[in-house]
Amino acid sequence: MLAHVFIAASLLAATPPAVSDGFVQIPSGEIRSTVRYEGDDGKRRVATFAMSARAVTVREFAHFVRAHPQWSRGRVPALLADSGYLSNLSDAGTAPHADAPVTHVSWYAADAYCKSIGARLPDWAEWEYVAASDSTRTDARGDATWRARTFDDGTPRAMDARTDAAANAYGVSGMHGTAWEWVGDYATLLGDADKRGSDDGDRLQFCGATGLSFANRDDYATLKRVALLSAMEPRSTLGNLSFRCARSSP
Amino acid sequence: MTSPMHKVCVAALLAMSMPAVAMDAPLPGDSVYQLDAHVTDQEARFHAWRSLRGKPTIVSMFYGNCHLMCPMIIASGKALQYRLDPAQREGLAFAMISIDPARDTPDALRDVARMHRLDTTHWRLLRPEAADVRSLAAALGIRYRAQPDGTFNHTSVLILLDRDGRIVARSQVTGLQPDPQFIATVREHLSGTPAVASRSTPPSKDSP
Repeated sequence: MLAHVFIAASLLAATPPAVSDGFVQIPSGEIRSTVRYEGDDGKRRVATFAMSARAVTVREFAHFVRAHPQWSRGRVPALLADSGYLSNLSDAGTAPHADAPVTHVSWYAADAYCKSIGARLPDWAEWEYVAASDSTRTDARGDATWRARTFDDGTPRAMDARTDAAANAYGVSGMHGTAWEWVGDYATLLGDADKRGSDDGDRLQFCGATGLSFANRDDYATLKRVALLSAMEPRSTLGNLSFRCARSSP
Repeated sequence: MTSPMHKVCVAALLAMSMPAVAMDAPLPGDSVYQLDAHVTDQEARFHAWRSLRGKPTIVSMFYGNCHLMCPMIIASGKALQYRLDPAQREGLAFAMISIDPARDTPDALRDVARMHRLDTTHWRLLRPEAADVRSLAAALGIRYRAQPDGTFNHTSVLILLDRDGRIVARSQVTGLQPDPQFIATVREHLSGTPAVASRSTPPSKDSP
């Protein structure tokens, strides 16, 4: 009898998203990605992993910079960040709220931050998988009304603009907020950007097919992100480009 | 895992084997050696990525289990090496970095070196720490994507770094022979590189 109660209790405990250390456990699954490469059907298998419940905040990043001063604005080398790096934090008059997502960070800085907490940047497929969710459904992309709301992503009108916006079905917040987010494999999203109109000679540049295309022209959330990220250098920074971290499951 | 003491010794030996190079001068801000990454070579020696500083180097990224482009990258590098006169050959290092550290163990890399009969006094095949592959690729402007069948799509390119890790030139690999223009650039760079590091760079706070 006691054993039964105990089992029931632990099952219940497993039902809501398990948050530990600011990370939420994301169950494995499959997503039909809007991003297609030559000769694939867009099906991506996502293994169980953990994702930050929200984007890394100004406060957290400031703490990282204090612990790793080589990432301060004055010391970061040109290879790793452009001149806009953390420019909003140095100007006291316009400094963002400490709980707001940190912006003006390069891919290298985001990568270094995640490594410093024993994590990594999420892959695009993981990001797209979690971002497909609204507060009740794990894949809301079939809902035209919801999709239309994602059109404001990356602006102050975004549906997750407020830091206290409701979490999605996985327990993750801010995926459709005022800031875009880096992903670890963002460079693979470049696809054929600089190969447009190329002939067979250029195809040798890669061991196989590479052309990137979009399966759904109305998946604004994805289209806008890929367009933006594919224009970025890893040292680039933007006032509305943030990041969050992920961890593979052991 | 190599002991920290061992790493220090390797670094010291490397430094000693490169006389007349100012290793203490600040690293330029745009040097690819600004990355805090670590690599293991085909002899299982563990190095800080920035310990490659000191000699002009041809770098590329490849993986051992690749049967079309990667042998071509290596062949193209060898062809470049043979087109240099002996003094220039002496002054140029080659570093081939794996994008597949899970499979490219030091043993696997040693097999690649043997198969291609690489002159390992000048060539190093390097396996980065898994978490460093992406940042190395980013710094070198090399794009790669893992395919479901275990292969990789990747940029096939030879990159000339100066002794301080600044990118001087890059050339797409399209066959067994390197681009004549690239060969000319490498020759010119090697003949123009003084034996003592230039002190013209003003001191900066760029190096960590």
